Amino acid sequence: MSAASGRTGSAATALARRRFLAGAAAGAAALTAAGCARGDSTSAQPGTTSISNDNATWDDGYRSAGRELEKITGYALRPLSNPSVTSYQQVVQMTLQTSKATDLVKWASGYQLKRLARAGGLTDLSGVWDTYAAKGWVRGASRSAVSYRGKVYGIPLYESYYVLFYSKPVFKRLGLSVPRSWAQLLDCAEVLKRNKITPFLGSQSGGWPATEWFQELVTKVDPHFYQKLIAGKASYTDDAARRAMDIWHDFIRKGWMTSPDFDQARGPGALKEGTVGMFLHGTWQAQGIAAAGMKPDVDYGAFILPTVRDSTPKSVIAESGVFTVPSRASSHEAAMANVGSWLAPPVQRTWSDFLQDSSANPKVRSGNPVVAQLQRDVAQERRLPLIRYWESSPPSLIQGNTDDLGGFMAGQTSPATTLRRMQERAQDEWAAWRRDEA
Amino acid sequence: MSTSTTDARTAAPDGGSAPTPPRDGRRTPMTPSWRVQRERLTAGGFMAPAVLLVAVFLLAPFAWTVYRSFFGDTRTSPFSWFDNYTLFASDPALFRSIQNTLMWVAGTVLLPFVLGLAIACMTNASRFSRLARLCVVLPYALSGSAVAVVWNFMLTTDGAVNQVLMALNLDSLAHGWLLTWPGNSVVMILANAWQATGVAVILFLVGLQSIPPETLEAGALDGAGGWQQFRHIVLPQLRPVSIIVIGMSLVNGLKSFDLIWVLTQGGPGRATETLAVSMYNETFLELRPGAGAAIAVVLTVIVLAASWLYLRRQLDVKGE
Repeated sequence: MSAASGRTGSAATALARRRFLAGAAAGAAALTAAGCARGDSTSAQPGTTSISNDNATWDDGYRSAGRELEKITGYALRPLSNPSVTSYQQVVQMTLQTSKATDLVKWASGYQLKRLARAGGLTDLSGVWDTYAAKGWVRGASRSAVSYRGKVYGIPLYESYYVLFYSKPVFKRLGLSVPRSWAQLLDCAEVLKRNKITPFLGSQSGGWPATEWFQELVTKVDPHFYQKLIAGKASYTDDAARRAMDIWHDFIRKGWMTSPDFDQARGPGALKEGTVGMFLHGTWQAQGIAAAGMKPDVDYGAFILPTVRDSTPKSVIAESGVFTVPSRASSHEAAMANVGSWLAPPVQRTWSDFLQDSSANPKVRSGNPVVAQLQRDVAQERRLPLIRYWESSPPSLIQGNTDDLGGFMAGQTSPATTLRRMQERAQDEWAAWRRDEA
Repeated sequence: MSTSTTDARTAAPDGGSAPTPPRDGRRTPMTPSWRVQRERLTAGGFMAPAVLLVAVFLLAPFAWTVYRSFFGDTRTSPFSWFDNYTLFASDPALFRSIQNTLMWVAGTVLLPFVLGLAIACMTNASRFSRLARLCVVLPYALSGSAVAVVWNFMLTTDGAVNQVLMALNLDSLAHGWLLTWPGNSVVMILANAWQATGVAVILFLVGLQSIPPETLEAGALDGAGGWQQFRHIVLPQLRPVSIIVIGMSLVNGLKSFDLIWVLTQGGPGRATETLAVSMYNETFLELRPGAGAAIAVVLTVIVLAASWLYLRRQLDVKGE
């Protein structure tokens, strides 16, 4: 009897175990199925086009501009943001290979775009560009920055200039005016330093900001040299680059720059508090400065860094992000319709008002008086527009050189050593890029 | 069921006997060899999911990584033999990365071990031991990234540490803690030790509490002083725990990534990269997957070698 009951007990245990195992297996299968299931965030949704975006603070701007686009094309914009630039780039490159790519992808211009286009998976937008060019809604000079092998793969998203933001109340208190020459700039920095204000914000925190002062100083020493340098036709060890690095080194030695680990997100606050005198950044930063409670033309102004010599041709570093359309976009037709109307003035007015920056459409004047004045100055002074260093050469070269510039800012290497390393890398990377192209 | 298992097991060694042929119209009982086979199949069935998961998610990617490391990083990715591995000799950033990895391993093994043992011994019998233990153990519950954010707030040039130093008129000591090598690596190792010591304390406390008090009493009766008791009675009995602490710290040191990535991203100028960070940097930022794969392979070999040495030692201890 006891044996029988024991057997029943073990049978019951076995049954319970089987049930448990079956339950566990079903649970695991369900989890696996859920894990393997495709997300629907990039699926086609009627009346909208999705945008991959690496700046979550722009989501409201896309939605506002999307409402204007919807009036023209019938499709609104649906931003999908991934605020980490590094993971954003990986996600976009992987998504392009899938059958559910986002409809529009925000990307950088120049060689960043060329590399993406080279890998395949982007739609040729030459027809859209030509339509815009016929209406005068794009700058002809920008075409090369959005093209690869003669075909256009990106439509400009915005156009920013690299400028020095400054606090108007601080300048007024110290009796300073906007520097129009190199000598005035140095004088300005000395006065600020005497008043215990760090004259310039310069940082390598986050990687790419290390290139800002390099590109700015090289272009203000010799803009034509910069053009040759980024095309791989001049050497980083040439005199113009040495001169620029010496100036930068001198600024650091004099204590005119913030520490290299200064967080640029704190730049607007530092400007407002009066702990930093001038903040070199893209005009898209105007939105961040407004968020810090500073009003354009009242609390802050902006100017382009003067040239080192008066005779040096005037130039401006221009940054333009682009919209690309993956060839496997979930709603390809809707994406093409929206990209074809993106530069329409009503859309751009809303967009540039949101960004407080200049539009990629030269016929749309910025609503921000500081940026509008810069637009006028760039046009009147016929400043040579130059591509930002970050997008100007093969990405592997830029990434490596950015690291070197970061090391220089932290005092690890001298100007000469930094430039020598940059040149060695340039030789290798340009050779690799050209070999690939061939 | 258990009986049949025993039968099968006992039958197996001498059970080379041929299965009896089935008789007509009657269901044959399971032969021992069939039982063995069925048991093996069942065991295989249970093991299959785990083996499959390891094979698909660990071994296959590793094999692919080894394969990829022999190809170049140009557009056509040609077979390049050991070119990616020669980067360790030619690229100063990778040389610095190896130096940093060694520093991290030494720091993450020594500091949690020494501090953990000291704190465990000091708080084992003291009055405020629970509170003290809680304070030390608490950081272990935080994620690496959260710890890094807190330390970033303290260590940047205009951060809390420098502000305190300046408030104390120690301006000469204030500097960019995260900017110059090797100081930046050292402060990050200290930050890591701050977090990792907690688990070492817990393990050592468990070890201390499992030491029979009689052994200490016997030592005291024999006239052993405090240090002698610790050195010759406590420490030998903590050996198994010590091996666990060292082993965990070793692996943590070799895989250190999150703290470095959030604090410095391996910079400035790639000065604070460890091999794990270099692998990520080369693959995803410098866009050189071949070089990244080579670093991954080298790192795996180091981790495996270290783990093997550690496991071998642990097995020796068990065998004693």
